[in-house]
Amino acid sequence: MFQIALKMLFGDRGKYFGIITGIALASLLMIQQPGILISIFSRTYSFISDVALPDIWVMDPMVKYVDDSQPMLDTELYRIRGVKGVEWAVPLYKGNQRVRLADGQLVGSNLLGLDDATLIGGPAVMLKGRLADLRLPDAVIVDEAGATGRLAKPATTPEGKPTPLQVGDILEINDKRALVVGIAQARATFQSQPIIYTTYTRATSFALSERKQLSYILVKAKSDESLQTVARRITHDTGMAARTAQEFKDMTFRYILNNTSILTNFGFVVVVGFIVGAAVTGQIFYNFTLDNLRYFAVFKAMGATDRMLRRMILLQALLVGFVGFGLGAGATALFAAATRGRAGLSMTLNWELLVGSGIAVALIVLFAALISVRKVLRLEPAVVFK
Amino acid sequence: MNLKNKILPGIAALGLLIAVVVAIQAEQKTPPAQPVAQPAQAPFKSYIGGAGLIEASSNNIHIGTGLAGIVKTVFVKVGQPVKAGAPLFHIDDRELQAALLIKDANVLKAKAAVEEARATLEDARSQYALVSSAGDRRAVSIDDVQKRRNAELLAKARLESARAAVIASDADVKSTRTGIERLTVRAPIDGEVMQVNIRPGEFAQAGVLSTPLVMMGNLDLLYVRVNIDENDAWRFKPQTPAAATMRGNRDLKTMLSFVRVEPYVTPKQSLTGASTERVDTRVLQVLYSFRRDALPAYVGQQMDVFIETPELPTPVVPLAVAREEGK
Repeated sequence: MFQIALKMLFGDRGKYFGIITGIALASLLMIQQPGILISIFSRTYSFISDVALPDIWVMDPMVKYVDDSQPMLDTELYRIRGVKGVEWAVPLYKGNQRVRLADGQLVGSNLLGLDDATLIGGPAVMLKGRLADLRLPDAVIVDEAGATGRLAKPATTPEGKPTPLQVGDILEINDKRALVVGIAQARATFQSQPIIYTTYTRATSFALSERKQLSYILVKAKSDESLQTVARRITHDTGMAARTAQEFKDMTFRYILNNTSILTNFGFVVVVGFIVGAAVTGQIFYNFTLDNLRYFAVFKAMGATDRMLRRMILLQALLVGFVGFGLGAGATALFAAATRGRAGLSMTLNWELLVGSGIAVALIVLFAALISVRKVLRLEPAVVFK
Repeated sequence: MNLKNKILPGIAALGLLIAVVVAIQAEQKTPPAQPVAQPAQAPFKSYIGGAGLIEASSNNIHIGTGLAGIVKTVFVKVGQPVKAGAPLFHIDDRELQAALLIKDANVLKAKAAVEEARATLEDARSQYALVSSAGDRRAVSIDDVQKRRNAELLAKARLESARAAVIASDADVKSTRTGIERLTVRAPIDGEVMQVNIRPGEFAQAGVLSTPLVMMGNLDLLYVRVNIDENDAWRFKPQTPAAATMRGNRDLKTMLSFVRVEPYVTPKQSLTGASTERVDTRVLQVLYSFRRDALPAYVGQQMDVFIETPELPTPVVPLAVAREEGK
């Protein structure tokens, strides 16, 4: 009987492809859009994820999110080091500085100053050069996206393509010479600016002169106490805001969520995808059942039980659901794989998303099956003779 | 179900497989970047941290010169141990040497003048003796006697004056010799030469200079000048032990012994070495010492210092937190 059900399905090519296309498009929308959304959101705190070593971030109490650095006095570092439960604390400079390219163009870049002695906060993956080379005079490390993108050497001819930055190239940051000693891989940030790594003292000399320069203090807590306890104690003893990495991520995420309309825009598309998917699929599947009503009547006349008919329709629905979802998920997965690690548009495909959209597609096909089953169950076997 | 009908579900299964693979890959986390060197750690239970700057136990002495001039000879090399009083450099002294020749000649001249004055006195004295010894007062006029006596007195005074002139010219010679001696700058204490910023032919300026002509100090014992933020200064107790860690390798550390507290809280300078050093806060400076052979450390180097403190007795609520909690 299931063979016949499948034969029925494959027999009507037009409707078969129609349903599959509907489900594939619906699952495409429902996976890709939230995928891009997750990717954008993870970029808001990608910098905190990249600097994975410290447990606690200490900052000025007025800081609202990670790119909003409110500098502190240099001596705060030593006050933090004196708080009980702090295993180590290192400074971090984070600021926006303008880089002048060879043709005079100014490019806003994210300048990161790492602790001179330890270089904590540096990139995890070095594509060229070594992190320790930052100790060379005037040395900086540029992230790959920046080196191939906005910081690439401008073309010498008007039609030519810009050449990516190489180790040994010279940049100019606020009229000061900077030597590229390495290319690193860094997660793209929300603002998609090139990232330039250097040491703390050099970053403060690159930066325009300000009285306060210390953006963040990165703290590792001693393992015998919870991170929250140490963070609260730092806040309590010094008056600085101390947040665990997770708290800081959440705070940054919430700030972006509350101050942009990204979630509403993407959420709307996902809901539309679900509704359109459900409507189109339900409609075509129902039509398909109506067209085949004669056969179902025959089965009924031949003595097929309601249960058997229900199972046949369910099988048809699940098959189109599986094929449609498989195509949609495969297409988005290829898209995700192709855009991974890129500076521009990219999407993240994770387990939760795959399972969630799978459940949504299952709901759509079950809904389509439900309305068809109702029609078939009410069917009189006599229809076959009409 | 023929082959044709299997194509689409096959593609779908493949798609799903790709999706699962991509999702699994997304779960994988990149390992965090490992630090080039481990950050400094405190060996105490309760402590305050500070930035330390190594200096000589005698302080870093910026040797200057009292007399400006072109440098003729530099006697010492960087790193050379010197005894107190050893010459460091010598400034061109030709002008004073020439003056000395003149002044030496002046001494001879003054001495000759003394002889001359003495001869004159002898003459005046004998002239006066001739008339003063005459028994008959009528043989010489009173006028003549007085004239001769005055001439003797005058000659005596001239001799005194000539003798004084010899002393004066002697003193003048000594003064010039002192001047010449001052053109050789000498080490004030036993120590080691840390910097020589002057070479023969260069002009050495008198006065306080930003770059010292020669820097020296006693390096047998190194001092660490620890800057403690004024907000933490109340936690500091004198005579407490401290530990210093070399930057870049936390295994290189040594215990420090307390020397003294600078009673004056000074504005902190960022130790960037830039020409525009920024003053941002005030710091309490505490001096600690360690033996030179304990660490491969150099004068002028920065260290991370931890000073042991008693445990905080009662929590002190800073203003910013109190404000936050009051909200």
